[in-house]
Amino acid sequence: MAASIAPECNEIKEKYDTCFLKWYSEKYLRGNTSSNECEELFKKYRTCLNKVLKDKGIESMLEDARKSNKENDAEYLKPT
Amino acid sequence: MKFFENISTYEYSFPAVSLAYFLRYPNPYSRHVLTTDVIERYVDPQTGRLHTTRLHLKKSKVPAGILKLLPKGIGGSDSSGQSYILETTVVDAREGWMETESRNMEWTGILSVVEKQRYQREVLEGEGTTTTAAQGADERTNVKTTVTFRSRFGQGKLLGGRSRSETATPSSKAEDEAPKRGFFASLSTAGVQRTIELIGLNRTRDAILSSKKGMNIVLERLRHGGIVGVLEGMRQDREAAFGPDGPWKRVWLHGSGSHAEEDDG
Repeated sequence: MAASIAPECNEIKEKYDTCFLKWYSEKYLRGNTSSNECEELFKKYRTCLNKVLKDKGIESMLEDARKSNKENDAEYLKPT
Repeated sequence: MKFFENISTYEYSFPAVSLAYFLRYPNPYSRHVLTTDVIERYVDPQTGRLHTTRLHLKKSKVPAGILKLLPKGIGGSDSSGQSYILETTVVDAREGWMETESRNMEWTGILSVVEKQRYQREVLEGEGTTTTAAQGADERTNVKTTVTFRSRFGQGKLLGGRSRSETATPSSKAEDEAPKRGFFASLSTAGVQRTIELIGLNRTRDAILSSKKGMNIVLERLRHGGIVGVLEGMRQDREAAFGPDGPWKRVWLHGSGSHAEEDDG
């Protein structure tokens, strides 16, 4: 499994990833789109990750990226 | 602006290809990918589509050709050699398609690269309408890749997302001044932009080839060993690439100072 940017989150990330892959291949891809059995693990993983994203200043970069993506797309994908 | 377009086919079913997409790192062709995290993921209750946002950290060097064009101190030694890539995907399992978009989050003023892919289940003629998941050994999946390159070099937005976090250094001054002077005076802004976009374009041809090779390895592992087979292959790739400690030690060794590596040995 791919490593997390936050070493301390690797353990929970691996649990979440495993859960997701199982859900995705056994349920989602077979048409059962409503279940969300990995939600709890995802929350824990995100709680762990969020802290690190904030500390490293990545969170604000993510926000900036989303904002500027929108602006760029609006500017350059507009009909001519 | 420059565009790159490529159409290709995987000799695997759509469910396999979409699974491989989420599972594609690490693989032997992805040694430059250090980490992958899921930022957001949900199923839209209206459409049943799965939306995912991931953040990849990749080793990257500013290409030498671009480096030559940049003012001293930008893109050179102050660069960490790592860059963040934001990837969003939408999967529609029922309709059998997936759309992905990846873009660099830093240096977007120098060069913004946006890669979009559309994976589509190939409907074979003469087949019934029952394309159930996971089976379908003779199904194929088509992919259309479009990459857009845009440089706004010399338009005062040189550093893009990088400016906030890392430019409390003298180089931040060069950002606004340099493009107007010296060497740059002899080149038109448009000419420099075109050059940068072309360098990006040339790099991308190779990158797309490698990325397809990587996907095919993951797909092969899936076919032979299922998810367990992929994970075992990954473990070996990771050890081959980074040693048994995994890649994060490197990330922190070279990363920003506040999280100095702790030696637990």
